[in-house]
Amino acid sequence: MSPILLSRRQTLQAASSGFAYLAFSALSTLAAEKTANRLAPLPPHFTPRAKRIIFLAMQGGPSHVDTFDYKPLLGRDNGNASKGFANLLGSPFEFKQHGESGLPISSLFPKLAGHADDLCLINSMYTDLPNHPQATTQMHTGNFQFVRPSLGAWTLYGLGTENDSLPGFITLSPPNGAQSYGSAFLPAIYQGTPIGKQARNRFTAGSGEGPISNIANPRLSPELQRVQLDFIKGLNQEKLVRDQYQPEVEGIIESFELAFRMQDEVPEVLDIAGEPQSILDLYGINNATTGGFARQCLSARRLAEAGVRFIQVNHGNWDHHRNLKAGLEQNCAEIDQPIAALLEDLKQRDMLKDTLVMWAGEFGRTPHGQSTNGRDHNNKGYSMWMAGGGVRGGLRYGSTDDYGYQAVEDRMHIHDWHATILHLMGLNHEKLTYRYAGRDFRLTDVHGVVAKGIVA
Amino acid sequence: MKLSPSLTLLPFALAAFSISSARSQEMSMKEEATDEQIAFFEKKIRPALIKHCYECHSSEGDKIKGGLLLDAREVTRRGGDSGPAVVPFDLAESLLYTAITYEDSTLEMPPKHRLEAEVVADFKTWIEMGAPDPREQVSKTKEVQHYTNTIDLDKGREHWAYQAPSPQTVPAPKNKEWGQNAIDAFLAVAHDEHGLTPAADAEPRTLLRRLSFDLTGLPPDPAQVEAFVSAYTESPDSAIATAVSAALSSDRFGERWGRHWLDLARYAESSGKEVNATFPDAWRYRDYVIDSFNTDKPLDRFITEQLAGDLLPYENAKERATNLVATGFLAIGTKNLNEQSSRQFRFDLVDEQIDTTTQALLGTTVSCARCHDHKFDPIPMSDYYAMAGIFLSTETLYGTPNGLQSRRATDLVELPFAEKSLAGIPLADLLDMEFRRVTLEEQVETLLAEQREQRQSNRNGEGVQNAVIRILATRNQLGVVEGQLLTYDDAGGRRDLAMGVRDRDEPFDSQILIRGEEDNPTEERAPRGFLQVVKTGDESPIPSHQSGRLELAGWITSPENPLTARVYVNRVWLWLFGEGLVSSVDNFGTTGEAPSHPELLDYLALRLVELDWSVKDLIREIVSSRAYRMSSDYDADLFAKDPENRLLWRANKRRLDAESLRDATLAVSGRIDLERPLGSAVAAAGVGFIGRTIPEASFENESPHRSVYLPIVRGVVPESLALFDFADPSLTAGKREITTVPSQALYLMNSDFVIEAAEAMAKTLVADAGLRGAALAREAFYRAYSRPPTEAETLATQQYVERFLAAAAGESLGPEEARLLALTTFCQSLLASAEFRYLN
Repeated sequence: MSPILLSRRQTLQAASSGFAYLAFSALSTLAAEKTANRLAPLPPHFTPRAKRIIFLAMQGGPSHVDTFDYKPLLGRDNGNASKGFANLLGSPFEFKQHGESGLPISSLFPKLAGHADDLCLINSMYTDLPNHPQATTQMHTGNFQFVRPSLGAWTLYGLGTENDSLPGFITLSPPNGAQSYGSAFLPAIYQGTPIGKQARNRFTAGSGEGPISNIANPRLSPELQRVQLDFIKGLNQEKLVRDQYQPEVEGIIESFELAFRMQDEVPEVLDIAGEPQSILDLYGINNATTGGFARQCLSARRLAEAGVRFIQVNHGNWDHHRNLKAGLEQNCAEIDQPIAALLEDLKQRDMLKDTLVMWAGEFGRTPHGQSTNGRDHNNKGYSMWMAGGGVRGGLRYGSTDDYGYQAVEDRMHIHDWHATILHLMGLNHEKLTYRYAGRDFRLTDVHGVVAKGIVA
Repeated sequence: MKLSPSLTLLPFALAAFSISSARSQEMSMKEEATDEQIAFFEKKIRPALIKHCYECHSSEGDKIKGGLLLDAREVTRRGGDSGPAVVPFDLAESLLYTAITYEDSTLEMPPKHRLEAEVVADFKTWIEMGAPDPREQVSKTKEVQHYTNTIDLDKGREHWAYQAPSPQTVPAPKNKEWGQNAIDAFLAVAHDEHGLTPAADAEPRTLLRRLSFDLTGLPPDPAQVEAFVSAYTESPDSAIATAVSAALSSDRFGERWGRHWLDLARYAESSGKEVNATFPDAWRYRDYVIDSFNTDKPLDRFITEQLAGDLLPYENAKERATNLVATGFLAIGTKNLNEQSSRQFRFDLVDEQIDTTTQALLGTTVSCARCHDHKFDPIPMSDYYAMAGIFLSTETLYGTPNGLQSRRATDLVELPFAEKSLAGIPLADLLDMEFRRVTLEEQVETLLAEQREQRQSNRNGEGVQNAVIRILATRNQLGVVEGQLLTYDDAGGRRDLAMGVRDRDEPFDSQILIRGEEDNPTEERAPRGFLQVVKTGDESPIPSHQSGRLELAGWITSPENPLTARVYVNRVWLWLFGEGLVSSVDNFGTTGEAPSHPELLDYLALRLVELDWSVKDLIREIVSSRAYRMSSDYDADLFAKDPENRLLWRANKRRLDAESLRDATLAVSGRIDLERPLGSAVAAAGVGFIGRTIPEASFENESPHRSVYLPIVRGVVPESLALFDFADPSLTAGKREITTVPSQALYLMNSDFVIEAAEAMAKTLVADAGLRGAALAREAFYRAYSRPPTEAETLATQQYVERFLAAAAGESLGPEEARLLALTTFCQSLLASAEFRYLN
């Protein structure tokens, strides 16, 4: 075996399980060892502040100046020419201060505003490009140009997961395109597993339609299926031996084993029927507007509880070139209550302290208008927020200029954000590396500065 | 400003404002008003507007409702939050008219009282005469905006991809033994340069499996493998030549290579997005693509037909029909059918056409220049709008039913000839449908009347809300029935329709829109044309009476266009080797990747033109190379030098794409139906809305036909394809992603499709072939892997069956049942295994 294949993982392998066919070569047993439980929990680099992540990803570029970045001058100068651009467009939404910290949050998030003292608003985000596909890829992988592992895959590679009967990285209703949950050159087991699809913001997990299809075999008992899977494993391991080096086959072997274990675990974890009515009402499960996203948020909490390391919750349609007012009202009405409920619920279970909850889009929007009721993409300055997981609540970190166009103070690039997330998880972003094609790769490439100021 | 001759002849031309008017694009030629018309406006319309509308819709008023101003021409036409208030000549599009007629219960104006019938009639007359309106903006006058090009085209042309491919001398590598043809020579010199040695030839069985999947998307059957092995022993070259010829002349070739093209053409059978209306006639384009590859239609002709088939000369009705169906390429994209502004819709549709055309054919993202000059590539906005003019001068015909949320229905193309027609319906059913239409119409009327009454009696709340929902639902049903009726002739026969395009009567150049905003045009119009960075020297001028699509096709397929042939041969390379010479296959711009073998890329591009754009000949040359024969065996030293195999020192191990995996599963189980089905499940479902009038579940039952014939509904791609990284059918997708997730394993372990295929395979092995023991294992492995099992595998198979039966003894299964289940699960294991899914 080539020395470059010996990753940090492989030094920590557990023994092989499963029936080894006598007929198959002894080498297959070696091959089996190589892939044995790469999901087992691994010690972090230092004491972590957070143990798991729930990432609320908003596709389309939510407007920061209408939500979490209060810009009084923008309102005052509404309609004035902005240099080189269309006229400034004041926010149609009112900002008020909330909580003891007095964080300014717009009227779009009445319920979330009740958690102001838990939120760390980062008003100084910026990213390299104002185009959706590139910016989305960069938000998830750090790089907009090449295929690189996603944040969730890196986290799982670094820390393993607490429950090896579930994927360690799950993405609920992802939009098209696998790069946001891909593992690129990292072993395939670190890839995110998509559950549910994004269709009109509807999410079916736990609604009786079945979150994952084919979760049970119609003909075989688990015992008989185990006999079959051992045989499949034997065939695959033989191929792996013949191929000598074939990470994708390793990934296939691991995915069958995980799939087998998931059959027991998934239906139970994603079945929200057992939740008390008070919890269902808290999230707004039975409300037509909030129901879809509520289901995702509640599922996320259940997955977090079950030990999943990285959970991504997706929501689309934030690209408000036009119809800004009604569009934002609709979207925020869909997510405000479920997110507030998620924070509340985690707190009640004493899980918020070590669960990092993050809300972000791929970029923000311009302070100047597009037509009379819309905004264009803006990568130079935008906002996201974090809560729980060792971040300082009630903090407004960094800032944009007077109108919200450009990040000016404590600027936070995607690389800095990634470095900070890994830091909260107990990982040094400069040391979390994977050797591929003769080079050590990092999530943050050669960049990234941890924003210590947001750490509680 | 240039005035058309017809315009200058008119006594009172309002051309000056027509150019700057937001809504003038398609109207500019018609927008002139006579003195009488202006007088009509002043006498009838202006006073009515002031009296009934200005209170809430004037810039002088206290409150502006719905974002709508009606106190100047431009703002009136632009409209408010709901869309344009007045569209000249078009009552249906004019929301002001809809509002004052109280036709739409969600939009009734003025809110407190209905206008007198006479006033309503005046508005109708006014809009139908073109809504002449002399009112200039009263408040802030808009600055005249100009566009300035910031792109240095000469500098841009320095990028390798915009320079003509240069003729190549075939190089002389050190190792003269290895090479088979020129392709090998280019690869071998790169090997020499980097101290790499090419892998030995693959085993003949491996090679035939590779060839068979690459060219036909199906595995060879054991008899073919055996015949190939013995021919290969005689002469590898002639064995390969024979196998290649057989594959290229099989109809399976077009199904495989046509599907590759359909990825580029973002082929789907529904409009996608929120409305997701069916495209019941899209399958004709699919069949056209498959047939074109089977007949080896030269690529330049193939492209020309798809962009401008309707403008090509023809000798007979059949040729005409083929040419028309080809233009479906431009019509099958996603559409936002509930867009309220027709102008916005048009620009979005054109953008989608530009995006697909330039990415699929030129590997260039021209759409990035819609709102600003391209940030990376030498493409100014004016180039974007030059192309936009071509497509704006084109009418896209895609059908879809009318409804309140689906406002963009069009005609379809009536074909003068059809080899195959879909089944019609009995006359009685047609009459029923007609009756249903009339009934629904009456229902809508009744509901509207009820609702009006409710409103006037000032009852609010739920009752009104429910009525609105009922009206919407009934109107949608009506739209669907109307759409269905249009698909039949008077006798109930199914009309032969296709999706496609035609030129508009009066082609025009597009304005350049600031930030891409449809209501923010500059003074300048971009003369219809192509990308300036690519000059072919043989461009034909665009005639004023045509859209320019034919000339666009001529420019794209010019042998002097540096992109077209390069982009396509690179795609072919990807489909045969697993990676492109340029790995960013859809992006040859400056942010794309540089070619690994630039000389080879140029050689192949020029060669394609030399071969008269014959795709089959190009493929034949590539698969006849020694490089294509290489084994995929691992070598630690060489791997250390080139881990990603960019210099092709061995064959790449490649995963089968979703269609090949599914087709192979059907093939080895003996269940595959290789006949082409007539139409598609979407054609059978007919006109309607996915998820509303047509349940998503209608497409769940999978036929045993090849995967290329499965219904491709946007958002409802069949599970067997979607789980295995099928291309997103909304966008040009030159390269499939490769994911390995447990949901795939669950599908292979537990899905009815795989289990039923495995059972069919087990039954044929036992019943048809009468096999057991080692012979059964041999046949099963041979079918699945194109090779006999190793001794260890034979033994393991026997152990498996024994072990399974032993474990099953504890369960309530009869002996026959248990044995069939053991064999079924054995076959399923082969289908689920990695080797079945991978090409060595």
